[in-house]
Amino acid sequence: MERESRIVMPGEQVSDKPERIGYAFVDKGRTYSTVVGLYSEGKLVPLEGPYEPLPDDMIVGIVSEVRFSGYSVDTNSAYAAFLSSREIRERYEMGDMIFARIQKTDETRSIELGEAKKLPEGRLVRVSAVKIPRIIGKKNSMVDMIRANTGCEVIAGRNGYVWITGKGDSNLAEKAIRMIEAQAHTHGLTDRVAAYLKSQKKA
Amino acid sequence: MGGQGEKPALLVGGRRVDGRGVEDVRPLKIVARVLNDAEGSAYVEWGKNKVLAGVYGPRECIPRHDQSLYRAVVKCRYNMAPFSGAEEHGRSGPNRRSKEISKVIKEAFENVIISENFPKTEISIFVEVLQSDGGTRCAAVTAAAVALADAGIPMKDLIGAVAVCKIDGQMAVDPGKEEDNFGESDMPIAFSPRTGDVLLFQMDGLLTREELARGLELARKASMKIREAQMEAIRKVYDEPKEDRFLLIG
Repeated sequence: MERESRIVMPGEQVSDKPERIGYAFVDKGRTYSTVVGLYSEGKLVPLEGPYEPLPDDMIVGIVSEVRFSGYSVDTNSAYAAFLSSREIRERYEMGDMIFARIQKTDETRSIELGEAKKLPEGRLVRVSAVKIPRIIGKKNSMVDMIRANTGCEVIAGRNGYVWITGKGDSNLAEKAIRMIEAQAHTHGLTDRVAAYLKSQKKA
Repeated sequence: MGGQGEKPALLVGGRRVDGRGVEDVRPLKIVARVLNDAEGSAYVEWGKNKVLAGVYGPRECIPRHDQSLYRAVVKCRYNMAPFSGAEEHGRSGPNRRSKEISKVIKEAFENVIISENFPKTEISIFVEVLQSDGGTRCAAVTAAAVALADAGIPMKDLIGAVAVCKIDGQMAVDPGKEEDNFGESDMPIAFSPRTGDVLLFQMDGLLTREELARGLELARKASMKIREAQMEAIRKVYDEPKEDRFLLIG
């Protein structure tokens, strides 16, 4: 994010050559953006958008249905996920929050989950899925900082659900996450969030 | 075109009823991201028109028989509030006119939304006209485009719409209610500014070939101004980030 980037609009040209860039399309030998995003040097980062499930994504989900052979899981996307009983040793109930890995998706976007772990009681914050990398930060820097300053356990699912336990100052943790979500496209955000957490801790 | 009362002079010395020239668009203000619960939203004030648009999706398509295995289904509901000012609106449910407008707006957006990315889902556009003064379908398209961009739904272009009319024998852009009611012709058009494609085209009244060409040219010019306003509204969301959605007042 340090490099100079500009905000592009849907239909705005990002390159005069046909290029393979995520969230862009090629028309008559030129490349155009499809979303409102930040563009810099062949990389287009969307500023807003729905969650598109990919294999190996770690997501936070809510068990929405207990079925004969497994569980239906709400994943904050248009597509329901299925978690087979074979994949897990625990038993869940409707409403339980889980942290799981996407094993497989197909062209109709049905999601198969695995490696699931039940999350204890906590609060769930729903943010835009494209902001999650910013909330996690480089090598978990941002989320570690929130953990250290609030005493909360924070798990950010790739799908846009962020789970926070109530032991520490979970209100402050949620506020910090909302702050990151609103300012995800700006520079020097880590420092500002650090300053914010410090100032709130004293009060 | 049917209006009530005497037909007023619509064009006096190159000036229109509200003092504009033939190429002038009414003042256009757009604010993006005004609603908390919609995934994308926009509020447009265009002259005396006030239009609010909200977008949901992609989400599970209900009823299931509408669903496509290959793409997202685009749905649109255009609705006029009972207090929007037009005589007989808001009495009960959708009427012939609002169904037609919902349909043409939906079809305009089907051309730009990259729906193949989201099989089995629907993308819903809701447009509420709070106050009307001629040209609400154009304001609706303009607002919905900003709301869709705000929701992050991939599109090939940020589209906008504008109407042109024939008043007292001359072509003029962006007719108000009086010009719509008493003018000789009214022609709303939506463009894809990137390609110049026409995505919505309707016409009331009669025009010659030359007048039509002149109208298209006027609309094309005006659509650039609309695109500017749309882009500015979206940029503002990020230039002045807020944790809460924008308040319309204060």
